Amino acid sequence: MWVRFVLGLLMTVVCLGIAGRRAYFLYRVGKTFQPLEAERRVDPGSAVRAEVAEVAFQRKLLRWTVPGAAHFLVFWGFMVLLFTIVEAFIGLVKPDFQIPIVGNFAWFGFFEDLFALLCVAALAVFTVLRIQQAPKNLGRRSRFFGSHIGPAWFVLFMIFNVVWTLLAYRGASINAQELHEPANADKMGFLHGAFASQWFASILPKTNVEFWETFFLLLSLAVLLGFTVFVTYSKHMHIFASIPNVAFARRPRALGALEPVYWQGTKVDFEDPGDDDVMGVGKIEDFTWKGLLDFATCTECGRCQSQCPAWNTDKPLSPKVLIMGLRDHSLAKAPYLLAAKNADGEVPEGGIPEAAAAEAARPLIGPEGDETAHVGEHGITGEGVIPFDMLWSCTTCGACVEQCPVDIEHVDHIVDMRRYQVLMESAFPEEAGIMLRNLEHAGDPWGLGASARLEWAETLDFELRVYEGDKIPDDVEYLYWVGCAGALDDTAKRTARAVATLLHEAGVEFMVLGEAESCTGDPARRMGHEFLFQMLAMQNVEVLNEAGAKRIVVTCAHCYNTLANEYPQVGGHYEVVHHTTLLARLVADKRLTPVQRVDAAVTYHDPCYLGRHNRIFAAPREVLGAIPGTRVQEMPRNREKSFCCGAGGARMWMDENLGERINQNRADEALATAPDVVAAACPFCITMLSDGVAQRQQEGTAAATVSVTDVSEVLLRSVRPDLVDSLSAS
Amino acid sequence: MKIVVLVKYVPEPTATWKFAPDLTVDRAGVEGRLSELDEYAVEQAAQLAEKGVASEVVFLTVGPAKASEGLRKALAIGGDKAVHVVDDAIHGSCALSTSLVLAKALEKEGFDLVLTGMASTDAELSVIPSMVADRLGINQATFAGELSVEGGAVTIRRDSDVASERITASLPAIVSVTDQTGEARYPAFKAIMGAKKKPITTWSLADLGVDAAAVGLGAASVRTIDVAPTPARTAGTIITDDGEGAAQLADFLAGRGFI
Repeated sequence: MWVRFVLGLLMTVVCLGIAGRRAYFLYRVGKTFQPLEAERRVDPGSAVRAEVAEVAFQRKLLRWTVPGAAHFLVFWGFMVLLFTIVEAFIGLVKPDFQIPIVGNFAWFGFFEDLFALLCVAALAVFTVLRIQQAPKNLGRRSRFFGSHIGPAWFVLFMIFNVVWTLLAYRGASINAQELHEPANADKMGFLHGAFASQWFASILPKTNVEFWETFFLLLSLAVLLGFTVFVTYSKHMHIFASIPNVAFARRPRALGALEPVYWQGTKVDFEDPGDDDVMGVGKIEDFTWKGLLDFATCTECGRCQSQCPAWNTDKPLSPKVLIMGLRDHSLAKAPYLLAAKNADGEVPEGGIPEAAAAEAARPLIGPEGDETAHVGEHGITGEGVIPFDMLWSCTTCGACVEQCPVDIEHVDHIVDMRRYQVLMESAFPEEAGIMLRNLEHAGDPWGLGASARLEWAETLDFELRVYEGDKIPDDVEYLYWVGCAGALDDTAKRTARAVATLLHEAGVEFMVLGEAESCTGDPARRMGHEFLFQMLAMQNVEVLNEAGAKRIVVTCAHCYNTLANEYPQVGGHYEVVHHTTLLARLVADKRLTPVQRVDAAVTYHDPCYLGRHNRIFAAPREVLGAIPGTRVQEMPRNREKSFCCGAGGARMWMDENLGERINQNRADEALATAPDVVAAACPFCITMLSDGVAQRQQEGTAAATVSVTDVSEVLLRSVRPDLVDSLSAS
Repeated sequence: MKIVVLVKYVPEPTATWKFAPDLTVDRAGVEGRLSELDEYAVEQAAQLAEKGVASEVVFLTVGPAKASEGLRKALAIGGDKAVHVVDDAIHGSCALSTSLVLAKALEKEGFDLVLTGMASTDAELSVIPSMVADRLGINQATFAGELSVEGGAVTIRRDSDVASERITASLPAIVSVTDQTGEARYPAFKAIMGAKKKPITTWSLADLGVDAAAVGLGAASVRTIDVAPTPARTAGTIITDDGEGAAQLADFLAGRGFI
């Protein structure tokens, strides 16, 4: 007995020692990263709810039914196996141990064995999925492309080993108890129901039963402890890391508002920044330790990758590969981060291994035009840790964040890296500089200037109320934020006129800011130009607060997101409503009556910044559904899984010359539903989809009659068919 | 070698300009900016400094108090310091008097090479470089699409519709540059913050020894008689081709004397 105790104890001490040392190492690396943002508070209530929903009930994993259910079973299998593991450890010294109370019952043993077998069944499902979706068969279309394939198989194999050795030990234990000490067998009631363990008992030798019991006990503990050590060194760290990662995640989700720029945990004051303040992430350790936890938690499942508009159009960005790249770099650079620094903050030469020194010298973002930069099956190569084109391919659509089962904040990390590139290095796709300059000088991305901001309203058949300083009069219910597109872009001007006309028709008193309005700053912020965003935001908030704006209606999904979610960061608190929400309400309240039939199949596209980022899915569909004659259709990728039009993240203002065009991909998906009208609720989506549809019309593969338009314009056709022509002329 | 870049703080071209009773632009009512065309000159000076050709780069402007914002913008792109000539008496000056102030300031500051944009985006006269050259008696090379400095001389490429000339002028000289020289860099936030720490010297007319009566609205060589906003662009004529399109188009053009 004492031999197995000593061996068991030795294994445990050695393995937990190695795992503990690894955990301590990761903790120390984390300490070299930035502290958490001061405003990121963990609200215990929502953290617990998230742990229950996402960890215990696997909410996000279960969105994908088959792999989700399989993971659910492995997770709960392991939870139940914890009991058998406790039984095994105590069995080292007390072979007839049973868990108090429940251990008496046969059903408990049945329950344990059932979950163990369900776990094995789930492993079989994973095996089939991994074979079906192997990157070597599907290439980039595989969500596992770029993941570590070997270690993933090893994990499945080890889980299988953990399960069967535990069951074998229990089988051997049955034999030992029943044959050797039959009196004890009655005591360990749970073994009566442990059907799988009984099967093992039946096939194991009935001689030397004590030897076999000890053998399988030590084998199962060796497998379990070995697996634990492996986990701490592998991508499978999520089984520990996901719990704190979910707890410290942004709630309700890391979408919607972006966070301001932080340095050393405090908000950077752009009016008077500290001399040493670093804006954004220029080195890996400029991420907060929560960032490192994100990287460590990534399980390489590739759900993010499967949804990413950049990846799906053959661009060199996969959110998964990006996170993996950051994790690999963190660990490779770790000796440098942990090494003692001299007075200049440098590591003395020879103080750390050469490889770590070389890794520390690598730029986080590679230079533009780096020929060696490549994102392939085996991860990232190139001069920088993250290639230039990888960073700038992101549309910030949030599909990755939406999918991630462990709440990794991909978009925040990407924007943080962009911030450093723009603010500290002035390195970004050159063509976007035109937009930035236009915002600075003219207050809109096209550079047309404030004086052009009321031209859209010239053909309205009523007098538009325009703000002229002073306070907004009390009878004004809404301030209509037209947005740069609505005011200046020919297509979006039609939407602005449709919305204004509908509001007028419904008897809503509203007013526009006219020349006093300027860009909300969304494209600047998504590009990483936080300074410019702050300037524009503060200027707008000053105007809005002076005017006493309370309720604002917005037509642009990006303006909506910024006004509603980001302006509170700079002192602007308003009740912001998207025009589709307001129109749906006006229709429901019978203040707007769709009279004219619009016999059309209407396919609705969810703008990322309206849907995923702000959860407005129903209102636009309600508006379309309320129009007599319309058939509202869905694309395969809709609502939370909507596919980006390609314009987000300031990509609207950058050239798209890598891979397929995102807007074409989405337009083709829309056209495949045979629509008469493709409707959206964001001017940038409409521009992108119009281009995509026009391309196919030119090629003759799409009907010339298909139109791309805003939800409000479809409603206008039904409410005021008489005005459609005069308002749509540009 | 010391470079002085002449820059102008202009009313924002896309904004709605309002005019004061004296028919000058009401600068208080409109945003201003560093003239986009001068940014090219600022960039060239910054590049010459980076190449080690220029040892000192100074930006010089004549303008209202807010013109210092334009100097800050230039200093974010490059350069070491700036000089701002500001005096109420300068208000309403014509190009001739402006060139006088600039010439005096250049004399006081000292220079080897003067750079400036090909025109200002407000007045668009393009005459300042020549006037300054004349007043100082130095060489001028205008509308440079490319420039280099070597052996005490500046060489430029000057493109016109019929020829591309290469011109060399010995220093001291004044060169105006076109947009062909290349877009100004987009300054990083660090550079914008750094620019706040660079010195800006302010001079009045008295500092330059210029008689206040010689400049300003009263001394202007041209007088604005009236100002009216440009009429809005009217919608164009759209000809739909129904077989007669070409003929209609020809008629349209012929009717307006284009063909």
